[in-house]
Amino acid sequence: MTTHLSAAPIVVNPYRPSPARITSIIDLTPMEKLFEFRLIGDAAREAFDFQAGQFVELSIFGVGEAPISISSAPSKQGFIELCVRNSGDVTGALHSKKCGDIVGLRGPFGRGFPFQEMKGHDILLVAGGLGIAPLKSLINHIHDDRHDFGKVTILYGSRTPADILFRAQFDMWRHRDDFDLILSVDQPDETWDGAVGLVTKLFDTIDVDPKGTYGAICGPPVMYKYVIAEMRKKAMDADHIYVSFERRMKCGIGKCGHCGVGHQYACIDGPVFNYWEAMNLQEAI
Amino acid sequence: MAPRVVVLSLASDFGCQVQLSNMTDEILDVLGVIDLGYWQLASSGHMPTEYDVAIIEGAVTTDEHLELLRDVRQTAAVVIAMGACANTGGIPGLANLVDLDERYTVVYGSGSALKVAPGKRAPMPLDEFIHVDYHVPGCPIDTSEFLRVLSHVLLGMKDRVPNLTMCASCKLNQTVCFFDRGQLCLGLVTRAGCGARCPSLNRPCTGCRGVAPDANLESARTIIVAAGHRADALENGLRIYNTSQEVRG
Amino acid sequence: MFFRIIPKREIPELVRGLASQFHVIGPVAKDGSFVYAPLSAPAELRLDYDTTLLPAKEWFFPSSETLMRFTVADNVVIDDSVDETKRVLFGLHPCDVNSLLLMDNVFLGDNPDPYYKARRDNTLIVGVSCMPNEHCFCNAWGTDETHWGFDIFLSDIGEDYYASIRSVMGAELVDRYVAGRPITDDDTAAFQRRTAEFKAAFTNDVDTSQLPVLLDAKFDSDIWEKLGEKCLACGACSMVCPTCYCFDVHDVLEADQLTGCRVRTWDSCQFKEFAEVAHGHNFRDTRASRVKYRYYHKQWGYLSKFERVLCVGCGRCTRACKAQINPPRVVRALQTGLVD
Repeated sequence: MTTHLSAAPIVVNPYRPSPARITSIIDLTPMEKLFEFRLIGDAAREAFDFQAGQFVELSIFGVGEAPISISSAPSKQGFIELCVRNSGDVTGALHSKKCGDIVGLRGPFGRGFPFQEMKGHDILLVAGGLGIAPLKSLINHIHDDRHDFGKVTILYGSRTPADILFRAQFDMWRHRDDFDLILSVDQPDETWDGAVGLVTKLFDTIDVDPKGTYGAICGPPVMYKYVIAEMRKKAMDADHIYVSFERRMKCGIGKCGHCGVGHQYACIDGPVFNYWEAMNLQEAI
Repeated sequence: MAPRVVVLSLASDFGCQVQLSNMTDEILDVLGVIDLGYWQLASSGHMPTEYDVAIIEGAVTTDEHLELLRDVRQTAAVVIAMGACANTGGIPGLANLVDLDERYTVVYGSGSALKVAPGKRAPMPLDEFIHVDYHVPGCPIDTSEFLRVLSHVLLGMKDRVPNLTMCASCKLNQTVCFFDRGQLCLGLVTRAGCGARCPSLNRPCTGCRGVAPDANLESARTIIVAAGHRADALENGLRIYNTSQEVRG
Repeated sequence: MFFRIIPKREIPELVRGLASQFHVIGPVAKDGSFVYAPLSAPAELRLDYDTTLLPAKEWFFPSSETLMRFTVADNVVIDDSVDETKRVLFGLHPCDVNSLLLMDNVFLGDNPDPYYKARRDNTLIVGVSCMPNEHCFCNAWGTDETHWGFDIFLSDIGEDYYASIRSVMGAELVDRYVAGRPITDDDTAAFQRRTAEFKAAFTNDVDTSQLPVLLDAKFDSDIWEKLGEKCLACGACSMVCPTCYCFDVHDVLEADQLTGCRVRTWDSCQFKEFAEVAHGHNFRDTRASRVKYRYYHKQWGYLSKFERVLCVGCGRCTRACKAQINPPRVVRALQTGLVD
């Protein structure tokens, strides 16, 4: 019987990474580095339009892909910043790269924080550990549109002082009056003069306007339940509390199934959900 | 710089090293990306004192093996356990089922054990004694799996030896399940990664890749008994390659 | 839709004709079972088959396929071409035709998958009617009938097929390769009789009432623990499922380590590592949670997006699962609270 084998190149391939050059690498902690990338080609750079809370698939051929949330603000165009912990094959391979090296990026993917909707309100951001990475994008975006927001409070918990990410920037911010930044660590060292204990403890020290505040939370899986409980104690509305979930987003486009959370996929329906939505996702919190 | 690699054997039949020599399409390419310092089956010289990667075949069955193994671990940045003997104790592990002294007497005659195999030990896989970085199980190894692992080593990736069982591979091959033919098949609990080669060649899985960490042994036992096999059929079948695992619990 | 009567004896001629233009795939015998395979002669086609070991998805979404080839040193794609082979899939039962429509929702909706789309665009579907066996329960989901998703559908009415023709291409091929004749009222009556026999022949009774509610309301039920105790975590159910679309992607290098392929393979939510994230947390660490997720997604997650359940009642998982975990049994457990 006849076989007609034929093949054709693809015009639009959502699985094909775009080449991006590493333009800066900053060591944040022994485990985490902040990478800045520039997509190669003006068209690719212009087409890359993202929201705070979205993620990209970082691709290193031979090793694979990993989903990483974007840390830079959408208000800063032309480059993409990713805060990456060395915790797997792809992130490990990235950590061994140097400035000028080329990697692949796909995205941006997912639903980010509702920035426009948040405008005109107070903002309460709560991060635990590496959860600061996506919130950093939101913080910087708010910073660049600061007059559109009311009071902005940031609660950021880390294991030890050495684990605090973006510490240089935050140390400066501790003295700003347009951002209330409270850092907390579980295990202080002799140099630490900030708060000690879980990030939830910081809620005793803050005032929240219950109807006028949007919350945003990102951290380790165990953290959400407790932080949400604190926000609910402050009488914040369920649909004004936003959480960003880490799941195994592999394809980024709602096909591979790995990031299933309840009846939805974190990669297209999230990774940012409001608490009302998250409550309706089985096993999400 | 290409990493210096040594290939050596403890108690085994060299079958996995023979598999390496069977990689006729790839071996020249492989030799282009590594600095082969020693290959027990093929080298006439001695093992170098410095190397980066040690590929070890065979089970530990003597004190001498153990000493060598610990030396290798001290020297090599990466240790790869190659084949069933190195990964699960394999066929040498069958000796764990009998009295070791008695067995040597049967094979070599009375009082022979000390002369033939001084410092003999109950056969054990490598990770009973040392940390193993990468595992390529199977009797013999599957060369395409070996090549994948070699890439992972060269790229500094983590060991990705599959933890799941064989059945999904069999489905992909469209092999009619042996249980549907009234036959026992150990694929139900055996570690995947070989592409379910034996079943695709019409032979039930004999468990040479070891018990999969994700296997549900209890349910498998129930299923095997319900299919009309003896209550100890699973344990008995697994003994061919997995007795060392059984002994160390 | 329009119709033709195609005498069964003309099928070999139709297959030969199709084979002059297309790569023809159909059910053929293998070791006492059947598989979809390329036909080397019309006589190999077994339209009397009960089911195939693997479903038709293999021909659109292969169990292993290269997405792109790349070079390692400069991290560049050197080839990402798609497969545009002209194929006919000949002999799909209604369940399998319907399963492709469910796959389409995922692969052809937002962000269309170019690899799936190319194969789908270049493949004609010829369906054929069947009679249910003891494992079939397509009637539970309404996937026992199909009214679109095929080019030609052949309903067995004895000596002839009552052929429904859905596409221009289907019509042209029927005109070109078979004599046939127009349908008569008698033919339609025969078709109705045959349909009634088919509907009466189902032996599985699956009560699908309010499944989305039950899945949420009984999320903490101990039926899942009991099913988890049985589950072998082998993923056989996902492999043989015509609607399971989850996949994994990994890179495979050539022996010289200079170039390689990014390869996509079928995956299963029943595998332990499926929902594990890089930092080591596993969102579905237990077999019970994974069995539950499989059913939760199929009967509710997918439904919430596409208004259909992600199951066509083909019974392949019933055959494949040695632990006897299958939709009729799980649905019964959901309804009664007991694992029988």
